[in-house]
Amino acid sequence: MVSLPGFAILLIPVLRSPSSESYLNLGIAVLYGAVTLPLLYLQYHRFRYWITPNELVIHSGVFTRRRRNIPVERIQNIEMERKLLPRLLGTASVKVFTAGSAAAEGVLEYVSVAEANRIREVIRSFQRQKAQDAQWTSDGAQPSAQVLERSGRPVPDHERDALAEVTDDDHHAGPPLISMTLDRVLLSGMFRFSLLYIAIIFSFLQFIEPDPELLAEMLTRGQLGALTQTVADSPWLAGFMAAAAAALLSWVSGILVNLNKYYGFRLWLETDKLHKRHGLLTLAEATIPLKKVQALICRSNPVMSRFGWWIMELQTMGLNVREHGFQIAAPFSQEEEIGDLSTRILPVSWPSRLSKVSRLTIRRMTIRYGLVLAALTLAVSAFWRPALYGFALFPLVPLWAWLNYHHHGYSLTDDALVIRKGVIRRMIWYIPIRKMHVFYSAQSIFQRRLRLKTVYVDTAGASSINFPMIVDLPSEVADTLTGRLYDRFRDLIQTTAPGSFGAANTARDTGQRELSFALPVPADQRRSSQATPSRPTGPPN
Amino acid sequence: MISDVPSTPLSSAESSLQHLHPSARKVWTIKILLLGAILIFAALIYDAASLFADESALPTGVATTASALLAAALGLIIPRLWYRFWRYSLRGEELFLRRGIINRVSTVVPLRRIQHLDVSQDIIEREFDLGKLIVHTAGTRSSDVVLPGLAFEEAERLRDELKNYILEDTI
Repeated sequence: MVSLPGFAILLIPVLRSPSSESYLNLGIAVLYGAVTLPLLYLQYHRFRYWITPNELVIHSGVFTRRRRNIPVERIQNIEMERKLLPRLLGTASVKVFTAGSAAAEGVLEYVSVAEANRIREVIRSFQRQKAQDAQWTSDGAQPSAQVLERSGRPVPDHERDALAEVTDDDHHAGPPLISMTLDRVLLSGMFRFSLLYIAIIFSFLQFIEPDPELLAEMLTRGQLGALTQTVADSPWLAGFMAAAAAALLSWVSGILVNLNKYYGFRLWLETDKLHKRHGLLTLAEATIPLKKVQALICRSNPVMSRFGWWIMELQTMGLNVREHGFQIAAPFSQEEEIGDLSTRILPVSWPSRLSKVSRLTIRRMTIRYGLVLAALTLAVSAFWRPALYGFALFPLVPLWAWLNYHHHGYSLTDDALVIRKGVIRRMIWYIPIRKMHVFYSAQSIFQRRLRLKTVYVDTAGASSINFPMIVDLPSEVADTLTGRLYDRFRDLIQTTAPGSFGAANTARDTGQRELSFALPVPADQRRSSQATPSRPTGPPN
Repeated sequence: MISDVPSTPLSSAESSLQHLHPSARKVWTIKILLLGAILIFAALIYDAASLFADESALPTGVATTASALLAAALGLIIPRLWYRFWRYSLRGEELFLRRGIINRVSTVVPLRRIQHLDVSQDIIEREFDLGKLIVHTAGTRSSDVVLPGLAFEEAERLRDELKNYILEDTI
């Protein structure tokens, strides 16, 4: 916000050549200083933090006053960072991470190193205290140990050695859940395209730095003269040939890139962690604790799904930023294999069929896409007349809307919400109810006229661009669905005993402990959601 | 507390919902007018620049007047609509929010999913003794769910109530 380096940069010209012109800079610098220095002081003055046995409290802000309370048991990780300047000053910054966001939730900058260590110790001791209290009050002894470890307790040496042994020793590796043969890797590459070759060509050109004039001369005079003549004679053919060559190149480089990435792909399970190893030139290894898996995502496209091929990803959420994101669990598998794999990882039961949203969505989407197409066409045609031919695409708009409707489906099972969406980029989300965080239902002005609603749930680590949503449910259906979903959520969250859903335990992975819930729900308040008949086959299609 | 949780959590009985503090409208109006001031200033510069030009697209003063009118209209209408459609309620186990003029969004934040809580107050809100409650969860889209336009004490009261709930829950 306020930066002293900026001040210094303004001063540089003055210090280097004190001439009349640079006095302007000096003036600006003085002005800048007059504003920022008091602000810095105020900032310092306003900043307060203290730690109670229950929470870390930070008061800050000059204009916007912020009071932040972070409960001790929600703190996942405490990082100490020492950059160059703080190191010279003998200070450190303490960053406090919770599961809420990838960025640090609480930052205490410029505390002395001793103080930083003390903060860490105090928070940890309070956390330990809490965990012990919890052990006394509930019988869930194991989860409290979990919390401690996950909150960054230094792992004792003997434990660390044991961990190292497990990860180093290949012979302990269980039978692979997935191991890809070479031809499977090559086959999967055939469905991928890569533009890597462009980068290679450019870096090659940069390396040899050809003289453009010389190059032009070589092209026109030498053996290639005939070729350039043909290109000049028939630009359409040349364009077509160039496009074909580009497609071929990107296809081949797609296969090669894929081979390099997924060569020897192996995925195996060890107690409660998934391990995977793959790669030709660079060997990539990853460990995914099952309890950090937030959702299963299956991806495909029209060509791949025509032959029954799918990709499965695990949506994960960790205390470490590197552990966030989407981990590929199956780079290229048949539907049945995906179904089989998913049930071996998590207690997944795929619904046998999916429900459809309202048919009115076709009408709404036709209007929406039609307006977008019209706006786009008109905007482009203002600069380039032939773009008006874009209006010829209008008959395709209802078809596209229908395709979107056709490929959109959802199902609520006992344990999860399953959503399928997308025509070109086909996605199926399997979202365990235990992993849900916030529930939404939305209705736009157009949806209100058609009595439709959009329903979505937020999960930790979900992509904000490709977000699972059930679009255009009839209002009443949406209301019953959310009612059933939320009831089920409350049932599951309140009755979960530690380890009962061993693989996917929501509360633990966001730093919450599993405890007997304070407010038991009377039996008549619970409405068991309809069990959908399920079988461990592939994702519904 | 449990008994007043309706069967459809995302559509609640109107009577059980609370409005924001009426002064929220004033705060929003001021904020929109401040934004509008930037627009008016830009239009003013445009007018001043084209004052002595031989031919300009718009007669002098039109841009400024139009942007002033636009800012005034938006500043008057939008806060009223926001206020009209904003509802919240703290129910047994969840915080319920509903808002939006064009896209009306209902949100249910289960209290045990709350990661931590903020109460914030900016310089305009301070004049009216208002504040915002910011509820942080682990969800991507809802890492901070904001409940604006509360009386500052109400925001602090809500925070303390939610906080109590979390702590009670986890000990």
